Amino acid sequence: MTATTPTSGARDLASGHVPGITLRHVTKSFGATEVLTDVCATLTPGRIYGLLGANGTGKTTLLACIAGHTFASGGEIRIDGRDPREHAPTLSRLCFVREDQAYNDAFTVADILAVMPAFYPDWDIETATRLVRRFRLPWRTRSKKLSRGQRSALAIVLALASGAAYTFLDEPYLGLDPTARGIFYDELLAAYAASHDRADDPRPGRVAAPAPRTFVMSTHLIDEAADLMEEVLVLDRGEIVLQADVDDARRTAFVARGLDAEVKALGVGRELLSSRRLGGITSATIRGELSAQDRRRADEARVSIEPASLQELVAAIGLHGGTDQLAPHSVGSTHGEPLAQTHSLAAESESDQ
Amino acid sequence: MIAYARRSLRLYLANRNYVLGVPVLTLGLMVVISILNAVIIGIGTGFPLSAQVQDGFRSNSGVIWAIPGFLVSVGVLAATRNFAMALAFGSTRRHFWLGTMAGFVATATVTGAAAMLLLGMERLTNHWFIGAHALDVAVLGDGNIATTFAVVFVLVLLSTTAGAMFGMVYRAYGPKATTFLVIGCLLLVFVAVAIGMWQRDAVGPMLAQWGAWAGVIVGSGLVVVTSAGSYAACRLATV
Repeated sequence: MTATTPTSGARDLASGHVPGITLRHVTKSFGATEVLTDVCATLTPGRIYGLLGANGTGKTTLLACIAGHTFASGGEIRIDGRDPREHAPTLSRLCFVREDQAYNDAFTVADILAVMPAFYPDWDIETATRLVRRFRLPWRTRSKKLSRGQRSALAIVLALASGAAYTFLDEPYLGLDPTARGIFYDELLAAYAASHDRADDPRPGRVAAPAPRTFVMSTHLIDEAADLMEEVLVLDRGEIVLQADVDDARRTAFVARGLDAEVKALGVGRELLSSRRLGGITSATIRGELSAQDRRRADEARVSIEPASLQELVAAIGLHGGTDQLAPHSVGSTHGEPLAQTHSLAAESESDQ
Repeated sequence: MIAYARRSLRLYLANRNYVLGVPVLTLGLMVVISILNAVIIGIGTGFPLSAQVQDGFRSNSGVIWAIPGFLVSVGVLAATRNFAMALAFGSTRRHFWLGTMAGFVATATVTGAAAMLLLGMERLTNHWFIGAHALDVAVLGDGNIATTFAVVFVLVLLSTTAGAMFGMVYRAYGPKATTFLVIGCLLLVFVAVAIGMWQRDAVGPMLAQWGAWAGVIVGSGLVVVTSAGSYAACRLATV
């Protein structure tokens, strides 16, 4: 899934270019406010990434820096080995319709859609028409008259039909009802699969097969969108604190449910991310992996063990503000040093006494 | 280079009624209002208007005041909203600016051509049958087709590029800087007029000699300044 086409891959290797998006120590400040403090990550092409994090952690700012909407204060951004700033061939392969995207007030939906083929040679008119119909977008309504949900739907139409190699989706579901969100998820997967099909089976006459599309989606509806994502990047306090395949990310924590004392016993020495108690039953989200012996002990103590959801994990990171606490367990994390656990069940047990 | 810039030109022209139709309509409306004025005057003085009244009409500068307001807003919208759209769709700042400038030239050309057409009609109908002067006026070169086109073309271009400069400065530096820029521009206009009045003995004959072309030359100089200003701000503008 992550492989680029042989042609493009060979060209990239020959020129020393690294395919995908590479971020090295990217910083961004607005006056005295540091939004991005040290972002390091590598996004290989042809995947769907979830960019997760609490409000104000800099998700949109990071996407804006990558897409050249704003200027990073420091660090290095490379797309397919190129600095994208004012580099037309690189930027023309990007599409980033922001959550609060400004449109010309005089433009109708039809005006905006009509101009898109000029920007994107691979603009998919069929997809655009189908999506407009499915979202029931009004063709003749001026952009300033669109509702919140309609603006989100328009952003989705533009992003998915663009065919852009790097497509950024900024909170794409805002104002969408569950039905419309379902349409979005279906269509995102369809666009993604179609780009992989094209990459595997290039159209005749093309010099090089197009690389499969890369989607980066910032979202708060984490669990709802989790099945779409292949890899997640969790942003907290201006840094990527976790980058991992979705399944790996889920494995970095587990939820234990059972008698309070048994759950606490199982979690001794581990970091408690969150817990809820109802009567004598405790449900605790705990960081770390369980050994076979731990699992046997849990079975014997009638403590149920489930992988933590991404939502629980991200919420826990936001609550802890503990970027470095999760780092040792991250895959491809930018941090390397294990740090002291600040909040463990053992400590909680002590405080209970 | 041209292919990338053409994308932003297409974006500018996405709603042609707005950027090409409305300026022409405004020009037409100005002509209609001038005719209505002439009708009202004619009711009192008789038709066709006397040579003396028609001479007074030759100083009608309605076209100078009718066009800029809307076109400055076109420039501002292009620099703020279209800029955000172009960047969302993967444009560079440089190509956005080039494409949008080409759009401004298109608006100026179409409006200038419309002015020439209306002037032709005005002269063919002996000033709309009643001696009403809307475009056959001193400020447009007293019926000279080429001067009329040049004045309207430069006026449209100056209005749109000035709007784009204000919009781009807003995008690059924020509202405070834009306010200072507007105040600064007004002060410069004030100083220029004051110097003109002070040196009227020297300036007056020169302007009289150049006629409407003086406006074209000064306006062209200002277009260069506003275009350069909008480009410099565009390079630093963010969304």
